[in-house]
Amino acid sequence: MEKNFLIAGFGGQGVLLAGEVLANAFMLMDKNVTWYPCYGAEMRGGTVNCEIVMSDDEVSSVNKAEADFIVVLNQASFDKFENKVKKGGYLIVNTTLAEEKRNRSDIEYIFAPIAQMAEDLGNVKMANMLALGLLSRASKLFSVDILEKALDNVLPPHRKNLLPMNKTAMEMGYKYDLLPINC
Amino acid sequence: MVEVLNNKKVLTKGNYAIANAAVIAGCDCYFGYPITPQSEIGEFMSGKMQELNRGYVSAESELAAINMCIGACATGKKAMTSSSSCAIALMQEGLSYATSDELPVVVISVMRGGPGLGNIFPSQGDYNQATIGGGDGDYKVIVLSPSTVQEAVDLTYKTFHLAHKYRNPAMLLADGLLGQMMEPVEFGEYPYKDFDHSSWALSGAKGRKQRIIRSYSPVEAPQCDHIRHLFDKYKQMEENEVMFEEFWTEDADLIVTSFGSLSRNVKAAIKQLRAKGLKIGFFRPITLFPFPNKRVQELANKTKKFLAIEVNMGQMVRDVRLAVNGKIPVEFYGKPVGSWPSVEELAEAIEREVK
Repeated sequence: MEKNFLIAGFGGQGVLLAGEVLANAFMLMDKNVTWYPCYGAEMRGGTVNCEIVMSDDEVSSVNKAEADFIVVLNQASFDKFENKVKKGGYLIVNTTLAEEKRNRSDIEYIFAPIAQMAEDLGNVKMANMLALGLLSRASKLFSVDILEKALDNVLPPHRKNLLPMNKTAMEMGYKYDLLPINC
Repeated sequence: MVEVLNNKKVLTKGNYAIANAAVIAGCDCYFGYPITPQSEIGEFMSGKMQELNRGYVSAESELAAINMCIGACATGKKAMTSSSSCAIALMQEGLSYATSDELPVVVISVMRGGPGLGNIFPSQGDYNQATIGGGDGDYKVIVLSPSTVQEAVDLTYKTFHLAHKYRNPAMLLADGLLGQMMEPVEFGEYPYKDFDHSSWALSGAKGRKQRIIRSYSPVEAPQCDHIRHLFDKYKQMEENEVMFEEFWTEDADLIVTSFGSLSRNVKAAIKQLRAKGLKIGFFRPITLFPFPNKRVQELANKTKKFLAIEVNMGQMVRDVRLAVNGKIPVEFYGKPVGSWPSVEELAEAIEREVK
């Protein structure tokens, strides 16, 4: 089995970090995994994305034409990547910064005010971890517990105090009522 | 980020992995000038080398960096530099000198787009630069080509080992994709023994005869002997150090060759086509110099055709053609620079060759 994920948003939203946490989660699950960032003349406030491919065998390639799961944290990323979701795949959308719009009928949309929820929880910077919680629920490929261990792997020692708060954000994402989108 | 990690699986960026492996390999000094897509190597070294009380110099240019490597290696130390494409170009003179001086300079080359300043996207356009080179005279640089981040670690160790074993410059030829991607790796320990350089290194002449390391040789005969000696070493490398990966070659109608991280896309495409019943084999040179000539010759007797796939306009394909020596057709498929061709695109291109 090989599944690929794409996370996209503004520079500064923690897109690359979210991808790194996700890739660590798969590593902790003993999967083969590759994380690959877009890199070019990127800057804060510009768009950024990263791709994560997990596989039971050697990861075949990155830069894939389509993804099984795409998380978009802003409108520009929604516009750019809606058509890159594989048929039957999932598009998770941060409706705080993107319009709730379904232009395709062959993919699943999950709309959630991700940034607003993170802000209500205490800090908008946790939007990326909250999005991973949603992704955990939608993909059924990894748990929030593994995500927490993965974040622990990534955080430097002087930032470990942020772990409990971010776990709450992941759980909040996981528990977000997905039902409305499936009606 | 700046932490030497042994014996534990960690998710690491290719560039950091290579730098960390160099530290574990015992690199005494690093000299370099930043350039995308390999700048993380210098960044890592700038912290780590100081912490370990080893040498780090942010050189004023690539020309300076390679010559600092020559100086440090002349004292018997393990020295390295890292750079990319248009800046590796600036080091060609130094590599020729280091080869003639028989100094084990280690170079990490992370390919980006060329020619000229090109761009910062991945490419395989420096196969010729690495294996043929742009320095003067008869010389060869050992070139190793990794396809995964784990292999980049293992081959960084090997690059140090071979450079010091043969007292010849050695290069790890990676690409921007491999440098920027993160994958789980285990570092372990440096698996090779260190070589004793005390018989030739410039360690201070107190109590012994003066030694001089130089590439200048004004008399014909000794210079001929010297170059023949270098080529004896290259022959030994060809006999003892060739590395490659192959599968499904025994019954193959077509064997596809590629190198570096691109070969993973190629492998996936071949697996798709095998599932459809097409007899396609895979061959990946890991040592680009010494190139696996003998094995390619053997395979030319078994299969009907070769196809070389590269992200350049056809560089390794020349080495395949030289080895095949006209016995069977050797075709080429590629693109100049940028994102690697998708598995689907490659499957289509390969299938065309067997129809």
